[in-house]
Amino acid sequence: MRSSLLPFFRWCDETFIAVAVRKSVIAFPTIETFHLLALTLLFGSIAMQNLRLCGFIMKEHPVSKVTKIFAPWTFWALMVMLSSGLLLFLSEAMKCYGSDPFWIKMGFLFLTVAFHFTIYRRITRTQDQPPTVLKARVAAAVSFTLWLGVGLAGRAIAFI
Amino acid sequence: MYSLCELIQNSQIGTSIRESLFVFPIIEATHVLALGLSVGTLVWFDLRLLGVVMPDEPISKLHRQVMPWAVLGFVLMFVSGSLLFWANALKAYTSLYFRLKFLFLVLAGCNAIAFEFATKRSIQSWDSAPAIPRKVKLAGLFSILLWIAVITFGRATAYHLT
Repeated sequence: MRSSLLPFFRWCDETFIAVAVRKSVIAFPTIETFHLLALTLLFGSIAMQNLRLCGFIMKEHPVSKVTKIFAPWTFWALMVMLSSGLLLFLSEAMKCYGSDPFWIKMGFLFLTVAFHFTIYRRITRTQDQPPTVLKARVAAAVSFTLWLGVGLAGRAIAFI
Repeated sequence: MYSLCELIQNSQIGTSIRESLFVFPIIEATHVLALGLSVGTLVWFDLRLLGVVMPDEPISKLHRQVMPWAVLGFVLMFVSGSLLFWANALKAYTSLYFRLKFLFLVLAGCNAIAFEFATKRSIQSWDSAPAIPRKVKLAGLFSILLWIAVITFGRATAYHLT
């Protein structure tokens, strides 16, 4: 399956954007810094929502209210991460092609985003009553684990 | 200072972290991900001081809820960061980026201390006030800007080290 995508990766690696990022000495580090700053906002806003789901903070507010405050930050931070990540990817598409952590990261990313915008979204927008606390805690634990997987695999791309 | 850093870097622990295949990446991953917990939670308090988020929430209440997590994240960052420094003390010491990172980190610390021990004394009068005093807003703004600088130069340091 991987090899069938080889021509696509080769094309990415040769796009003018990829060439431009590679040509510049400061482009990659600069884009990576934006990627990292957005990560802080993304993980931070997710942390706040998950801490609320677990009942550790802002307990007197309904989950849906806390979500309403932080979800827009999560969304826009994710957009910055995806666009900066795309630029980083293009510039080293062939390296990514051969990197196992890259494929693991993409797998985690797909699962995480799918979970976030379906099950997680439903729980955080409707879970106003305290009763099903377990459900909320499980959602928080799954969310934490999935995002952690994306982060760890992403960090591993640089090392392996 | 130079020879002290040399001593630290060449110590047994420093060498074994640096040369280990897994230990260094794991510590670095911890350092980066703890950022989401420390600055990632602190930033909401700073934005509250600026009046950008949760304007209805008393500042003292948010402080109580957010700070333990921010401090926990900061401890993780500090411990993992110290270990990373241990392994590359000399390179870090001679790196302009690391020096700038350290400078901004100290400034962020001073900003936090000034807020905790001076600005916060009058919290009664602005805890839930619709108009936040300028010195309180500035504390939040400085915190955000200083942490952006710490993160930016931290990222740059990593390029210098490898």
